[in-house]
Amino acid sequence: MTEAVISAAAKSGAPKPKPKAQAAAQGGTLLPRLIAGLAIAAVWEFVVRGFAPAYVAKPSTVVMAIPHVIVDPAFLAATGQTLSAVAEGLAIALVAGTFIGLAMGRSPAVERVIRHYVNGFYALPMIIVLPLFSLWFGYSGAARIATIIFAAIFSIIVNVADGARSVPAEYLEVARSFRSKRVRMTLEIVLPAATPYLLAGLRLAAGRALIGAVVAEFFLSVGGLGYFILYNSRAYHHNEAFVGVLLLAGFGVACELTVVWCTRRFLPWYRRDETAG
Amino acid sequence: MQTSFLRRHAPFWASLLAGIALWEIAGRSTSQAFMVPFSETLVRLWQLIVGGDFLSQFLDSAELFLTGFVLAVVVGAPLGILLARVRVLRIGLEPYIMTLYATPMVALIPFILSLMGFGFTPKVLVVFLFAVFPVLYNTVEGARSIKPEMIEVAKSFRSDEWALWREVILPYTLPYIMTGVRQAIGRALVGMVAAEFFLSSTGLGQLIMGASQNFDTGGVFASILVIGLIGVGLMRLGLKIERHFARWRQ
Repeated sequence: MTEAVISAAAKSGAPKPKPKAQAAAQGGTLLPRLIAGLAIAAVWEFVVRGFAPAYVAKPSTVVMAIPHVIVDPAFLAATGQTLSAVAEGLAIALVAGTFIGLAMGRSPAVERVIRHYVNGFYALPMIIVLPLFSLWFGYSGAARIATIIFAAIFSIIVNVADGARSVPAEYLEVARSFRSKRVRMTLEIVLPAATPYLLAGLRLAAGRALIGAVVAEFFLSVGGLGYFILYNSRAYHHNEAFVGVLLLAGFGVACELTVVWCTRRFLPWYRRDETAG
Repeated sequence: MQTSFLRRHAPFWASLLAGIALWEIAGRSTSQAFMVPFSETLVRLWQLIVGGDFLSQFLDSAELFLTGFVLAVVVGAPLGILLARVRVLRIGLEPYIMTLYATPMVALIPFILSLMGFGFTPKVLVVFLFAVFPVLYNTVEGARSIKPEMIEVAKSFRSDEWALWREVILPYTLPYIMTGVRQAIGRALVGMVAAEFFLSSTGLGQLIMGASQNFDTGGVFASILVIGLIGVGLMRLGLKIERHFARWRQ
């Protein structure tokens, strides 16, 4: 009988610690984060109130600005313009970059010819091309797209080439012994094997594309989020401008998280130093 | 010996010559406002160097780059280790650092401009902001991945906090810091050009802007060529530094 009581107690007691521990662990990260966030906001608020002119953005006024900014048609239009330009540029960079990267990774001849150019352009601070692009494409959306592609494509090429190079030779040997065609081998063996690298490259590329878009809008005065921020901060509407910065930050984080999530979800066996590059 | 040296370097020079030839042909077959051949770019570059403009602009840029970059490393690395060592701080600040790492810092330039104006300090701030987060982020990652056993062993030998930092944490984290430094070099260069474009125009950034506004395409190409070479050189240097310190990283 005592045994039964003990086992019943054990049964009812056993599942309990788990949610408790989970809750404790969650509270363990949530509470410091919340406190740190509030502390940062408080310091910011205090410093701006104490030492800066009234128009400078501070947490309380930025929060108050959010409701009327996010329904402002000008803001929505700017967001749409920037995000669609980034998406378009990234898509072009992704397709072209994957193609060039595969060629570079699989063909030593191509690699030898263009490697130094790819590395050179990759090392070039991307915004340096803006004056040139403004000469070539005019002060227009085309120059912005070109800047985004230029900013994004080289990290994709470099990573895809790395991936294509690292395909185990046995896979290709098996395919070759079954008389597989080169195109099929590339599409069905090399490309899937390079996908994790592609995602790592895309993660870098998305961040660079976003920077490229904002800088291009500053430089070219093309409508978009960057221009919205520039225009409003010049008109001393810092709070409104800062909402744009928050959105850009959110977009940057979202890109990062999406790629990390995709890697975990679809390529769970793959682990690599993701901060490289 | 000599043949292997030739074989190793011949493809590089061949592709370089091919690129230059392509540039020359493209430049000669298009309008002068669009593209300038390689030879004329070199001539323009020589004019800029002889004119004395170039050197002073270059030194201006170098000063800005170095100040911002050194500040970023000096602030980022110790702060990163501190964050990794003090668990509450790390957990609390991690999401904010991650967010700032992913935020396009260029978006803050208009605010910096209207708050701090056109001096040297706001430009240094821009370079610093561009460069500090890679250092911080990688340092935290590195210091976090120290095996707890190592610290336990040090503690069980009654190591004090200072010795622990000097003998265990710093050597272990150094390779990661250097990865951050390499990334920071690239970002600081972008920050430098951005600061020179959008804050007060000085240095190599001004050289390009001025050339572009005067439709001096040769000047634009000459400046891009120089900054490209600087970028490649710095990137090589960064990789070398990283590899040098990566020897004991598993």
